[in-house]
Amino acid sequence: MEALAKAIGLIHIAASIALLNGLLTTFGQAKIASTAIESIARQPEAADSIRSAMFVGLAMAETSGIYGLLIAIIMLFANPLVNQLVSLIG
Amino acid sequence: MPLNVDNIWILDIFGIEVWITETIVNSWIIMAILIALAIFIRIKMRKFKEIPTGFQNLVEAGVEMFHNFAQNTLGEKLLYISPWFFSIFVFIFSSSLFSIFGLRAPTADFATTGAFALATFILMIVLGTRHKKGEYIKSYFEPHFIFFPLNLIGELAKPVSLSFRLFGNMLSGTIILTLYYSLTPIFVQIGIPAFFHAFFDVFFGAIQTYIFVIISQMYVKTAAD
Repeated sequence: MEALAKAIGLIHIAASIALLNGLLTTFGQAKIASTAIESIARQPEAADSIRSAMFVGLAMAETSGIYGLLIAIIMLFANPLVNQLVSLIG
Repeated sequence: MPLNVDNIWILDIFGIEVWITETIVNSWIIMAILIALAIFIRIKMRKFKEIPTGFQNLVEAGVEMFHNFAQNTLGEKLLYISPWFFSIFVFIFSSSLFSIFGLRAPTADFATTGAFALATFILMIVLGTRHKKGEYIKSYFEPHFIFFPLNLIGELAKPVSLSFRLFGNMLSGTIILTLYYSLTPIFVQIGIPAFFHAFFDVFFGAIQTYIFVIISQMYVKTAAD
């Protein structure tokens, strides 16, 4: 039972580390949005095409954040290696 | 609202277990609603007028809006597949609206989004070989045939990222709302979740649907043009 508790603790720490990539993802998305706003302010007649390009760029940059989230979710709820981890610790 | 996808019943077809899950039943409900809507519009459109009025005006405006959107991204040559993207658009958007009613959205299951991404992948291969013929197969061996594994991995990563993006966004909304419903006392569960639903289901659902459709169109266009 103690080994299982240790394994669960380790898994939660690992999931929170996997979510840390949100820092860089948010930074990149903020850069995309600020650049798009700058170019819209400079050229308001091209706002529509800039907006759609911005959304596509945001979605592309978001992918790594989503991967981190999925890795965290899989580690917490559907971890395939938890039995090996318990037997390794205990 | 539990997090795992419930299994409703198990069919046994020639010794192979087929699981009918909550996702399948929910997408059947959405399909029934959409088909009924389509039949209703078709019956209403029987008296087609050259100069549209009333209901016909509304339908034509919706179709035309999507037509222009597809024309900008797909181009004139590939415009004949835009009805397929319109049906994907309507299905994904209505399935993300489905979780407003407290039911599980079909897009919060990897089976649905994976199927859509696989359809985009097949469309890429079919239209690429149809429009570019040998050049499409040659594009895997560019600039040199040593690069074939790299090109193959790059091509296979497209449907994976496409499906994981939609799945992750919809699942994160479902998880946050489940946590909210299970952790708070009953008197704050009236009224306040409406804002969460408006943000995570309507706003995120609309943006992710738009992104899924526009990125699939771009992939198909790069493969076929």
